[in-house]
Amino acid sequence: MTANATFDRASAALLVERLTKVYADGTRALDELELRIPSGCFFGLLGPNGAGKTTLIGAISGLVRAPAGRAFVFGHDAVTDLESRLLVGVAPQEVHLDRFLSAREVLAYHGRYFGVPKLESEQRADELLEVFDLAAKASTKPNRLSGGMRRRLLIARALVHRPRLLILDEPTAGVDLELRHELWRYLRRLHSEEGLTLLLTTHYLEEAEALCERIAFIRAGRIAAEGTPAELTHRFGGDRLEDAYVEAMRA
Amino acid sequence: MSTLELRVRQRRGTLALTGRETRRVLSLWTQTILPPIVTAVLFLAVFGGALGDRIHRVEGIPYLSFILPGLLVMTVAGQAFANCSTSLFQAKNEGYIEDVLTSPLRTWQLALSYMSGGLLRGLVASFAVALVSLPFAHEGAQPVTAAATLLITGLVFSSLGVITGIWADTFDQHAFIANIVITPLALVGGVFYSARTLDQPWSTLTRIDPIYYLVDATRSGLTGFHEASTAVALTVAALVAIAAFTAAVALVARGWRLKP
Repeated sequence: MTANATFDRASAALLVERLTKVYADGTRALDELELRIPSGCFFGLLGPNGAGKTTLIGAISGLVRAPAGRAFVFGHDAVTDLESRLLVGVAPQEVHLDRFLSAREVLAYHGRYFGVPKLESEQRADELLEVFDLAAKASTKPNRLSGGMRRRLLIARALVHRPRLLILDEPTAGVDLELRHELWRYLRRLHSEEGLTLLLTTHYLEEAEALCERIAFIRAGRIAAEGTPAELTHRFGGDRLEDAYVEAMRA
Repeated sequence: MSTLELRVRQRRGTLALTGRETRRVLSLWTQTILPPIVTAVLFLAVFGGALGDRIHRVEGIPYLSFILPGLLVMTVAGQAFANCSTSLFQAKNEGYIEDVLTSPLRTWQLALSYMSGGLLRGLVASFAVALVSLPFAHEGAQPVTAAATLLITGLVFSSLGVITGIWADTFDQHAFIANIVITPLALVGGVFYSARTLDQPWSTLTRIDPIYYLVDATRSGLTGFHEASTAVALTVAALVAIAAFTAAVALVARGWRLKP
């Protein structure tokens, strides 16, 4: 491996090289996908259902069986190096929370699974419950929370162990407008004040346009185009990101 | 981050998941600890008390003392298996297993943590049954042999529970293994009778049942009576425990039925 390649892997928050995932039924979810997300970037990944967004996230975070190709998180191999898991926080698309635990315990146990000492994890849980306006529901079980609260708890859970790369898989899907804007505000703060790298997948183009510095369009397991919203709009013509997206998906 | 720091974090994570599993067992004690104690005490009352008056002695041992080791093995095996398979099945089925699958835990740590709840449940329940039955323990017993056998039993069946929890896609599949494999094996494992008093094919059937050797070794520890070599039974049981644990770890490592 050249010194440049090593530097590139270490300097990027996420570097994906020829990542390929074929499911047992023959579906090629990722097809030699290449992607580089610079450290500190708010990055959007847009694509239709089945384009490979969730599979890519699963491959990075250990939720998908080892794919072919390589993925590096801040220079750590996402498949073989377990240290990479400490650097990634994932809020999956589907809300799955341990029903035997209270909201506070969901957060505190998550931190402890990631090796955060018990007391520190509990303090971090309290802090995040405040931030996400869930303090009053600290001792409530997840199945007794509203959909919006569960969504917030899921995002809070991804942050407990202080990851450097936060991955949000359609975090605002099915969320009302008020909460969506509330989440936007918090995500912007995480990015600007805490310097977190964010990878956001969404179906809402206006959301990606409002939040993301760089965007990639994914189609059939490959990156179809990548750039700033302005670059993409310019490249594909049209006035809005939506036009560029439609054009990229058609090409 | 140094390797040592990562190891420390993984150890903390393992303890946390172990804590979560043991906490689940203790907080649901009316579903996890109490029923097997009631069941075992009922077995003792019916077979040892009521029926025992007519049977008196088996192989020179009071019937209650004869069946007690088998009941302890049944309790540990059934509860260790049920806990691990149920807990893992629920985590997988309801999706919250992703929380630990994305963690830096190594696969053996993950498997061991899930096994811990089953071990605790089986051993606590059997300890309670043993306490209730203490007055019937045979003189000259070797409790260390019995304890070692029960521990190995717990390891074998909690590993099998993890494997079943991973394998089962539906509650029916999960229940199938418990009802069609584990319970019959326990019942024909020589808990209530001596294998050498049986006619063929029952005698052979009993002797090819692996639970028979666990029951026999425990009985050897508690009563001094055994039909097979205790050393061989314990060695084979320990090897089976290692094989079952290795298989469970290998399945977790492969992500079989846990990850697409």
